[in-house]
Order: sequence, then structure tokens, then C-alpha cells
Amino acid sequence: MMERAKVEANRNSDAAPAAVLVEDLHKRFGKLEVLKGISLEAAQGDVVSILGSSGSGKSTLLRCLNLLETPDSGTLALGGDRIHFATDARGRVVRPDREQVERLRRDAAMVFQHFNLWTHMTVLENVIEAPVHVLKRSRAECVAEAEALLAKVGIADRRHHYPAHLSGGQQQRAAIARALAMHPKVLLFDEPTSALDPELVGEVLRVMRALADEGRTMLVVTHEMGFAHEVSSRVLFLHEGKVDEEGAPGEIFGHPRSERLRQFLSRIRK
Amino acid sequence: MIDLDFMAEAFRRLIQGVPLTLELAALSVSLGLAIALVCAMALHYGHRGLTWPIRAYVTAFRGTPLLVQIFFTYYGLGQFRPELQALGLWGFFREPFWCAILALTLNTGAYGTEIIRGALQSVPYGQIEAARACGMTRWLVYRRILLPIALRLALPSYGNEIILMVKGTSLTSIITLLEVTSIAQQLTSETFRAIEVFVCAGAIYLAMNFVVTRIIGSIEYRLSAHLRAAPDLVALPAGGGSA
Repeated sequence: MMERAKVEANRNSDAAPAAVLVEDLHKRFGKLEVLKGISLEAAQGDVVSILGSSGSGKSTLLRCLNLLETPDSGTLALGGDRIHFATDARGRVVRPDREQVERLRRDAAMVFQHFNLWTHMTVLENVIEAPVHVLKRSRAECVAEAEALLAKVGIADRRHHYPAHLSGGQQQRAAIARALAMHPKVLLFDEPTSALDPELVGEVLRVMRALADEGRTMLVVTHEMGFAHEVSSRVLFLHEGKVDEEGAPGEIFGHPRSERLRQFLSRIRK
Repeated sequence: MIDLDFMAEAFRRLIQGVPLTLELAALSVSLGLAIALVCAMALHYGHRGLTWPIRAYVTAFRGTPLLVQIFFTYYGLGQFRPELQALGLWGFFREPFWCAILALTLNTGAYGTEIIRGALQSVPYGQIEAARACGMTRWLVYRRILLPIALRLALPSYGNEIILMVKGTSLTSIITLLEVTSIAQQLTSETFRAIEVFVCAGAIYLAMNFVVTRIIGSIEYRLSAHLRAAPDLVALPAGGGSA
């Protein structure tokens, strides 16, 4: 039995295992149903851009993947973990196992719209915080790695500065380095450039592009159509809590099928 | 009019009360801080079974005078001597020193709870979310993110509370403790020279609180580097060091 299971597992991993698998995810806030059954799959190295107008549920979807929001029902498989969500007879969400949640969060690093760097720590301390205290790795090793990561995102010279002393673009690049320091299996970006001055957007997108080129698995909620078009391997268009259209960026931007997507694109391109 | 020789003598006598005053203040402030931390975290955590007893405690001790609390623990609980003896606690409640410590600790603990609870609540939510998002356990979030930020926010008000406690120890003179104020009262009744004696006593409290203020100030300075301008901020270009 054991061996057969192992063989099957191996066979599954041959056929490009899904890095992220979401099945029929539902989430409601009170009476408002924000996600109405979303499914998505991302293979290793995929860059999935998630588009949609305000209120379409795109940020909620991303937050569900990191379990900052707990879905009401559906399945989420990420890293080695697979979690089924359910509500009990009284309609309350059954809390998933805390250890499993914490493990899944270590595998899915989040980059926030407002950076959320810890204000009382320097940039370097921000980057080593979780590897040292969550992954329990040695401090010296983490510092060396953090310095390399900060050099990679181009702010090595700012490593002893506090977040308040950095520009928005630098803060977001520091936040990306902080996410990378966890060796995550998936990177989640929640509108990473929406809080930036226009002239600072480019430096962050350049870093993200480089990560995509490295073959990192990324899910990106974004309004940057250029990035979605050129960098992503697949694009999801969300409308009122459902996947309205999904496809390669060429199709989505070149031949949008749904009327809603056409309207959305024409509004964005104005 | 003012007899400087007498003042010097009074000062020498009063100084002898300083160790006790400091002992009362230091002990009650540190024990009170421990109570405040535990209670504030319990309130912040929001478990209902914990919330209302803590609220009742805080309301009772903030709503009644410290002097009443000191009377209550020393004279009031003295009425229950047989019961306290049965519990083996009489040795504690017999001593005015420990009664004073108990009253002062519970009093500052109640104020401290409110100060730290408020500070915990003011920690921006994004800071907590970022910590949870990288897989920190609840306790780790408290230890590494919430408490360090909250204590920085609480420090100025907590400094106030410590100064109030140093002055609050003077109320323990009423239960026979020979601290600075108590000695001052003795001296006054021996000599009827209230001005000299209380000027000296006041100066001693002022000096103690000056030191306390400086200590808190230096802790605050050390913990707030992130709020000061960067050393080379002037030379920092807007999008400097980009990739």
C-alpha cells in the first residue's frame, strides 16, 4: 500500500505539480459574498496576474491564499499542504489547524500594497526577522543571505535604515526581500505598486520582472497592464467574485471574449 | 529667618528615608508593570472570561483614592486577622511595608493596564498582518512585533505613571512607614519648622523624580531611532539606489 502511494505521488510530481491549487473557494463577509466559487491552478514557475475592478474580490482571493482571511468553503493546496474549508451547522467557519496554517503561511510569502515593514526595525532586521524567529535559522547565516537579497533588490546601502527613512519604492523592494528571505514556494503580491508615486513604480516592477525570469511562482493582483501582459504566463479576470475570463495574456488583452472584460480593458487603457 | 544649619540637619534626617521611598517605588512599579502587561494582553486578546474581572479590577483601583486603598489593606484587612492567620497570610498583612507594596502595586497595575492596553490597540494593523503572514505564532507576534511597538508607544505615559508612584509612596507615611514624608512630619512636630523641613522634603522628591525622568528619557531616546531623521537623510535622493 505504502509503496503504491509513493509511486503514485512520484507519477503526480512528474506531470508538473501544481504549486497552487484552489478549488471552489467561497468567502463571505456577513451578508456580502465576496468570492463565489473560485478555482485556479498555478504550476511551478507560473506568473498569474489577477485583474478585476474594485470590489471584484481579487484582494480577498489573494488574502485567502495566505489565510489572512479564512475561506468559508473550498480547498486550497499550497506547498505540501492541502486544507479543506467548511462551516459548521451554525454557519460558523471551522478554524483550520493552526500549525498547518502557520506552515502554509511560511510557504506563501505576501507582499502588501502598503509594504507593512515593521517600523521599529531596520531594513536588515526586517528581512532576517522571520527566518530567525519563525524558521529558527542561525542569525549569521540569515544576515549574510539578507545582505545578498538586499543587494539583489538594489537597496544594500540602505540596510541599516529604518523604513520611515526610505522612499515608497525602496520600502516595497525591502518588503520583497523580506518575502524572499523565507524561501517561499509562492510569492503573493497584493497591488504592490498601487501605493507608489508613479515615478517609483518602475523600480518595483523591474524587481518583480527579475523574479519572474528566475522562474519563481508568483500570483499578482495588479493594475499594471503592461506587467500583466508582458510578464505573466496566465491572466485571470475576476468579476463579482467569479473568474469571468482566464487565459494567456495574448488572448486576454488581444481577444477578450466577455463584454465585461472588454469594458474593463477600455476603461483601464484610457 | 531661615536657619541653614537646621536645614542641613533636617536634610540629613530626611535622606535616611530615601532608601525606603525608593524601595517602595521600585518594587511596586516593577510588580505593577508585570500585572499591567498580563492584564493588558488578556484584554487585548479579548477572552470574555478574562475580560470582565480585569475590567472590574481596573475600575475599582482607578476609581478610588490611593490613600483609601492603603488604609483598606492595612487597617481594613486587619479586621480579618483570624481568617488571614488561618490562611497563613497574617505574616504578610501584619507588616505595613507589605501592605503598602500591595496597595501601591495594585494601584499602579490598574493604571498601567490601561496605558498598555491603549498602546496595544494603537499598533497599526498592517504591522500585525505582516507578522501573521509570514507564519508567526500568536505568541511570537506579541513578543516580536506587538509588545515592542506598544511599549514604545506607552513609554511617555508610563513615565508619568512612575513619577506619580514615586510621589504616591508619601501616602504610606500614614501607616507608620518611615519614608521621607513620614520623617518630615516627625521633624515638624518636634521643631515646628514646617517650611524648612518640607522644602527639604520637596527637594528630595524633586531630585528623585529628576533622575527617574532622565532614565526614562534615555530609554525613550534609545528606542526611537526609527522616529528620528536618518543620519544621511539630507543626502538621500528620492529613488536612490534603484535596481
